[in-house]
Amino acid sequence: MSEFSIEMKDIVKSFGSVQAVKNGQFTLKQGEIHSLIGENGAGKSTMMKLLYGLYPIDSGEIRVNGELIKSIDPKKAISMGIGMVHQEFMLVKELTVLENIILGFEPRKGMVIDFDAARKMVQEYIDRYGMDVQLNKKIGQISVGEAQRVEIIKTLCRGANIIILDEPTAVLTPQECTQLFVILKSLRESGKSIIFISHKLNEVMDISDRISVMRQGQYIGTVKKENTSPADLAKMMIGREVFLNIEKTKVNTGKTVLEVKDLWTSGEKEISKIRGVSLDVKAGEIVGIAGIDGNGQSELIEAITGLRAVEKGSVVLDGENITNLSPRKIRGHGMAHIPEDRNTRGLNRGMSIEDNLVADKIDEKPYASHFCLKKDAAHHFAETMAEKFDIRPRNVKALTSALSGGNAQKVVVAREVTSATKLLVASQPTRGVDIGAIESIRSTLQEVKSRNIGVLLVSADLEEILSLSDRIVVMYEGRITGRMRAEEATEENLGLLMMGDVDQAKEE
Amino acid sequence: MKQTFKNSRKILLTMLLALGIGAIFILAIGENPLSAYGALLRGAFDGKLKIGTTLAAFTPLLLTSCAFAVAAQAGAFNVGVEGEVFLGGLVAAYIGINWGFLPKPILLVACFAGAIVIGMLWALIPAILKAYYNISEVCVTILMNSVALYITSYFVNGPMSAGVANAQSLPVLVTLPKILPPSNFNAGIFIAIVVQLLIIFMLKKTTWGYKIHTVGTNPMHAEYIGINPKKVFIHSMMLSGAIGGIAGCIEVLGVHGYFLNNFAVGLGTNGMLAALIVKSNVALAPIMAFFLAVLKSGAMGMQQSTGVPKSIVDTITSVFIIIATMELLFQFKDKKRKNMESGPASPDETIPVTKKDDGKAGASRG
Amino acid sequence: MDNIFNASLIYATFRSATPIIFAALCATITQQADILNIGTEGIMLTGAFMAVAISYLTGSWILAVLVAMIAGLLIAMIMAVGHLKYKSEICAIGMGVNLFAIAITKFLLNTWLGKSGTFMDPKIVPIPHVHLAFLEQIPFLNVIFNDWCIMEWLVIVLIVFVWFMLYKTRWGLHLRAVGKFPDAAQVAGINVNAVKYQAMAISGLLGGLAGAHLSLGYSQMFTENMTNNRGFMGVAAMFFGGAHPVYTSIGCLVFGFADSVGARLQAYGMPSEIVLMMPYLVTIVVLALSMISKKHTEKKRKSSLQTAK
Repeated sequence: MSEFSIEMKDIVKSFGSVQAVKNGQFTLKQGEIHSLIGENGAGKSTMMKLLYGLYPIDSGEIRVNGELIKSIDPKKAISMGIGMVHQEFMLVKELTVLENIILGFEPRKGMVIDFDAARKMVQEYIDRYGMDVQLNKKIGQISVGEAQRVEIIKTLCRGANIIILDEPTAVLTPQECTQLFVILKSLRESGKSIIFISHKLNEVMDISDRISVMRQGQYIGTVKKENTSPADLAKMMIGREVFLNIEKTKVNTGKTVLEVKDLWTSGEKEISKIRGVSLDVKAGEIVGIAGIDGNGQSELIEAITGLRAVEKGSVVLDGENITNLSPRKIRGHGMAHIPEDRNTRGLNRGMSIEDNLVADKIDEKPYASHFCLKKDAAHHFAETMAEKFDIRPRNVKALTSALSGGNAQKVVVAREVTSATKLLVASQPTRGVDIGAIESIRSTLQEVKSRNIGVLLVSADLEEILSLSDRIVVMYEGRITGRMRAEEATEENLGLLMMGDVDQAKEE
Repeated sequence: MKQTFKNSRKILLTMLLALGIGAIFILAIGENPLSAYGALLRGAFDGKLKIGTTLAAFTPLLLTSCAFAVAAQAGAFNVGVEGEVFLGGLVAAYIGINWGFLPKPILLVACFAGAIVIGMLWALIPAILKAYYNISEVCVTILMNSVALYITSYFVNGPMSAGVANAQSLPVLVTLPKILPPSNFNAGIFIAIVVQLLIIFMLKKTTWGYKIHTVGTNPMHAEYIGINPKKVFIHSMMLSGAIGGIAGCIEVLGVHGYFLNNFAVGLGTNGMLAALIVKSNVALAPIMAFFLAVLKSGAMGMQQSTGVPKSIVDTITSVFIIIATMELLFQFKDKKRKNMESGPASPDETIPVTKKDDGKAGASRG
Repeated sequence: MDNIFNASLIYATFRSATPIIFAALCATITQQADILNIGTEGIMLTGAFMAVAISYLTGSWILAVLVAMIAGLLIAMIMAVGHLKYKSEICAIGMGVNLFAIAITKFLLNTWLGKSGTFMDPKIVPIPHVHLAFLEQIPFLNVIFNDWCIMEWLVIVLIVFVWFMLYKTRWGLHLRAVGKFPDAAQVAGINVNAVKYQAMAISGLLGGLAGAHLSLGYSQMFTENMTNNRGFMGVAAMFFGGAHPVYTSIGCLVFGFADSVGARLQAYGMPSEIVLMMPYLVTIVVLALSMISKKHTEKKRKSSLQTAK
């Protein structure tokens, strides 16, 4: 019997021309919590997806309990006791919690699925680890935290002894994280091994036994928690010292540029329907909206930017009522918008960088005259932008689908920032981009603010909200549960408000 | 440029494969494929009449393939071109027969205008249903083709009947001059070519084309960036309908001189085939339209001079289209690309999630 | 009016609807796996031809039905391989196989059976009808239920069977998970492609059956392009019923009703073209109205002005 339950050696994996993992090393001991950390794009998720058999490895070897595994697919991984909780939950929202948990290994009675037996089996796990889950609800109706517990139960029910969690805390409040850690520790007590992927160093220091670091597809090293510190880990992760906490520029607020009054709008889920939200943004300040994903932030932003019908209330931009105007007219009034998902909304991946950079100005001079496109003007503009925002590769004729996350996001930011004259709405501006791009995008937002433009920032990342905003509003289930100046905010009081716990938040 | 070369190579390979499969069918019925294909070519090109017939078959296919391609650029799968050809022809015939009070040139324009309007209106129905209610335009347009066929059939057998044995209308008072008589090749070809060039220009060089392309590739992005995807989708469907209407008008005024029952059967479908084979590339569609016209017009000659029935031609074209739709076929050298499509585009993206279209954008493919 | 709306209209409606129900079930199975089966029409047409040809050549309707199903399976597999393996766009390859079906049946009719247009022959053995002697005593029920074609009884069994498969069995759960969220199914250890291939295969068998019924049960001949867009009516019904086998079949009955009422109106001087048009027109209108109403319900559900539950 080998010392390690998992050994991954010299792993290489490419997607097309991109080498996602160049030299992957990882070991897991039984009964430990081993964190795998690295910034976005470091290859940590890919490593674990390879272990779970979602893609084949190009070269290298994987051993499970000392045995060399030739090829692996999810089914085989499950049978070897490996379970994975993905960053994006792998739950079918049209099916019930119970159906999702038993999917793929349903107990049968004759030809029919035996739901009674299934319920009994699942309930045992729920009771053993004290997890609060409602089996009969559809996934579409439950909260993110609950969905995560469903994912964990799913792996346990399949007999997982090794559980991989891919950035599990990204979608949770600080308080929910604490709850999750209690569950993880009790899983460790019962002999399970856990692989915890994260880039949040405080969490990692809190929960891990050992920590492995990856950078740009390379294995950097493994340390015991006792022998390291957040600062050391950060250095290993990034390779240099990073100062994400940009000095906030002095607030020099002017008149109100955005006023949202008692806004009501539809929602994809019951808890994301916006019911009576009011807020305002002044010129030259950044207002941050904090909240757990799915509590109506997306819907609110869509309503403000004209992408979703306002059912009641009004949106006023610099004194002009823009409620329910078309996105085009709203843009015409001086609002720009960095959308939360660059791939579905922000970019047209089938078009070049240059076409994407002028997409919102395509009817305007000098990019068009008499309905004809002026490609030269667009090209010239794009080259300037690529230089200014450091978009790589510099070839602006390249398709945006070929860009890395950070560079793709820079294209969106470049276009929107140059178009904003009164208000910039930035929704999850640094989601899924590398640390270099995060730095540059954050300082760009500061620069926009200093041009006396209002910025409305939405982020699920509390650290981002805290480091950029001048004022903060917190959303919970489609309503605003708190407003404060940035100086008054802490992770704790924001966390409570994000869970709707207004009373306790006031006490603190 | 490299892409165009790759595409052409693929089309050529597909064409050869389809002809090869056709040859197997011909062998199976005990005929010689080479002599059959030879007879087919002779049937299409041997003599003025045959060349004229081929070109006459080419004219409507040029337009219908263009009509399909325009809609496809905006993400629509407009199978309804055939219905638009039928109704365009019907309205053109009605105006051409009954509005004799107009001077000839104006009557000619009126015929085209009528055909264009009806084509646009007919295409408007599925366009609205798709854009606003996400109802499959494939399903609706196919069923509407049947409706259009029966509408024209009703008129030509009833109120507009010429009263002769064949179901046809009275002759129209204005026709397009014939080129290469006694074939049906007529001046409509010039109209078709002009339309084709205008469409190519529109798609490649104007803001309208940019918008259509944006909506066709990513309607969610279009909406966000300030292009109304529903409007653009509907407009390009209507444009597609208008082109279909023109095709119908040319068939009535140029080929037949009256409205003939069932005249447009297969015109829309073959145009669609031509466009599909070249992935709705408007610049390449004419080449395919010509290829299909050759097959179509040569088929009769082949049937007469060999024992091979002309239905083999439809078989070959349908095999052609089936193979042509297979994106990953003939990509032996592009294995890497295939890899990329099955994995994430870049390492920092999460695994590609095939999320269901939430129907909000309306103009996406259903 | 009594000649139009009487007891026999009930059977007439069902009779006209049956070929469409088969087609709709064919489309339903694949839709649950998130594949829009545009090729239903072609699968059905091929089945119809093979059924007539085999019945004519062997005199066995059972063999004919089996061969029709296999033919349907083959056509479905062309689509499945194209779509799943070579990434064909489903609408494009679907239309491709439809046209292929029209062409190949025409070609085989010409070369193999030596006919063109329509093929009718006394040697074609149809699928038998079921005569229930005891019903003769009850006139009303006799008109409605007696002398059904075997396939008409079978379709009722199939509706229940498909429903059972989809909502009660493991395979059905896997199929629905694959259709709604393939990545989730994959990480649960389900072979997504295998499930999709299976769905296409079953769809092909059902489509072949649909064709066999059309040419050997509903009628007793083969005509070029005899499905005449019935496959697409099935697809429309599938949309109408949200790919639920029972609701989908109800949609088919509506179309069947339009068809049989129309046929009766012809006796009252309604032009035949209008009568022939009716089922298509009704299908479009019903499809449009049902989808519009679905959209409104959806909008209402999402509205913030609506209180929860």
